[in-house]
Amino acid sequence: MRAGALGAVLSVAGGVAWRTIHNVFTTPSLLLPGVLFPLLNFTAFAGGLSRLHDLPGFDFPPGYTAFQFVFILLQSAVFGGVFTGFGIARDFETGFTRRLLLAAPHRSGIVLGYAIGAAVRWLFTATVVTAVAFAVGMEVGGNGVDLFGLYALALLANVAGILWSTGVVMRLRTMQAGPIIQTPVFLALFFAPVYVPLDLLQGWIHGVASVNPVTHLLETGRSFVAGDAAGAGLAFAIAIGLAAGFALWALRGLRKAEAAG
Amino acid sequence: MTAREQGIVAEALVREYRGGIRAVDGIDLRVAEGEIYGFLGPNGAGKSTTVHMLTTLLPPSSGTARVGGFDIVREGPRVRAAIGAALQEAALDPLLTGREHLRLQAALHGLSRADRRSRGEALLERVGLTLAADRKVRTYSGGMKRRLDLALALVHAPRLLFLDEPTTGLDPQSRSALWQEVGRLAKEEGVTVFLTTQYLEEADVLADRVGIIDHGRIVAEGTPSGLKAEIGRPSVEAVPANPDERHRLTQLLERFGEPAQGSPNGVAVRLETGTESLVEIVRALDAEGLDVSHLQLHAPSLDDVFLAKTGRSLEGAAEEPSAEPARA
Repeated sequence: MRAGALGAVLSVAGGVAWRTIHNVFTTPSLLLPGVLFPLLNFTAFAGGLSRLHDLPGFDFPPGYTAFQFVFILLQSAVFGGVFTGFGIARDFETGFTRRLLLAAPHRSGIVLGYAIGAAVRWLFTATVVTAVAFAVGMEVGGNGVDLFGLYALALLANVAGILWSTGVVMRLRTMQAGPIIQTPVFLALFFAPVYVPLDLLQGWIHGVASVNPVTHLLETGRSFVAGDAAGAGLAFAIAIGLAAGFALWALRGLRKAEAAG
Repeated sequence: MTAREQGIVAEALVREYRGGIRAVDGIDLRVAEGEIYGFLGPNGAGKSTTVHMLTTLLPPSSGTARVGGFDIVREGPRVRAAIGAALQEAALDPLLTGREHLRLQAALHGLSRADRRSRGEALLERVGLTLAADRKVRTYSGGMKRRLDLALALVHAPRLLFLDEPTTGLDPQSRSALWQEVGRLAKEEGVTVFLTTQYLEEADVLADRVGIIDHGRIVAEGTPSGLKAEIGRPSVEAVPANPDERHRLTQLLERFGEPAQGSPNGVAVRLETGTESLVEIVRALDAEGLDVSHLQLHAPSLDDVFLAKTGRSLEGAAEEPSAEPARA
């Protein structure tokens, strides 16, 4: 891409991202659900199910709070992307997307802008969830590098989430796309070892979880918290692959939206 | 007009929707630089679909068009950089202020930070929204939203401006202000304006040339005065004060032209000469002592042009169901 075209893409992305961030941080009804939803889950899972840590074979030294924190962090990342998809659907319904498509010389910047906006929104959520986790006594075995790896992995999951939902919304261009966006995400997240390690799952759920790519992200995230970066390469490869695949999905969706007018 | 000239050239432009519905059915257009072109037609005639194709929002099913010298299919980014557009629904974000909208629009067009600020302030002042600039758009009236929409379309100083039914729903004062601004843009800044409307008066007042579209096809094109002259001469209608004198009135009026369709109680003739015959008619009525309760000169309007070309009145056609599919 030529420098001028790249500059135009970045300018469009900057404008779209600014709007997302501005609206989220000036409108409590947009900001709070994205923060309260993971906190509620964290309270329910880490608090209500903490005795699961006593199960025979449950070996996670940092404790059950840290075990659940990783899931909540990833869940908030993916759903942060999904919520942004709902915003894009609303833009289609109100006609605002048409304004963006009309004004943006290079339209791929629109997708990039939505992704940047979603990432900034999630970073705020991640900060709050992390602060609350430490406040309630979460222990971490890993060092700063391990934690950086955890947040980088979650950020990639966030990007994958927003690109997945963007691709769906660009094709359907309605709020009614909500169930189609959410259902696969719910299935992928909850067919992973959410409450206990993979080794303690049995039967069909163990089989499904073993091939679920989210399992690798979750297990690696927990390894980072425990101070053991085992499987990091595979997990990052999966996360980057998902983000890249969904980037293509989103851009092809953009082309379909352009063709539909 | 050569391909690289700055106006609009469309050839055999078609947009077909699913089910074979042709919203636009092979239109040819040539709009010169600095011209105000009025695109007139009833709801569902294909006006908005044409605008969507020319502004790169919708690819044509077939045909070609160049806007500002750029091909709408192959050079979309360059077309978008050259044009400004205010579409039928002023799609604004209710959570942003007027000033924030301008800032966003300027960013989308890649203006520098300094230009964003200065251009934004100038446009707010021009459209009379300086005092409301920091209010959320959800508090704006319909007229204010339209004015902001026009400012947004102008933020990058485009050479071409597309206005899709810009005054629909506006009060007369706001409509007049918008007309003034559009006229000024074309005359003082040389902006080419492509204006769709279903208001005859709007096309008559603003447009240098008018294209009339019906069922996806251009049925007439020319200057408003030329089109009106093309379909006929003015007519005059009189209603006798005494119904028994209807025959005498008919004989008198037929000295000035051939009979025409009038109201049930009236007598109408299409004048052989121009509107100057009206004075002669009044003198003749006075000389023969014929009293009339109603005397009206009817100059041909664009609605008459539409009626002559399609067999229907534009006002009536506007009530027909749209041929274009419903759009989100």
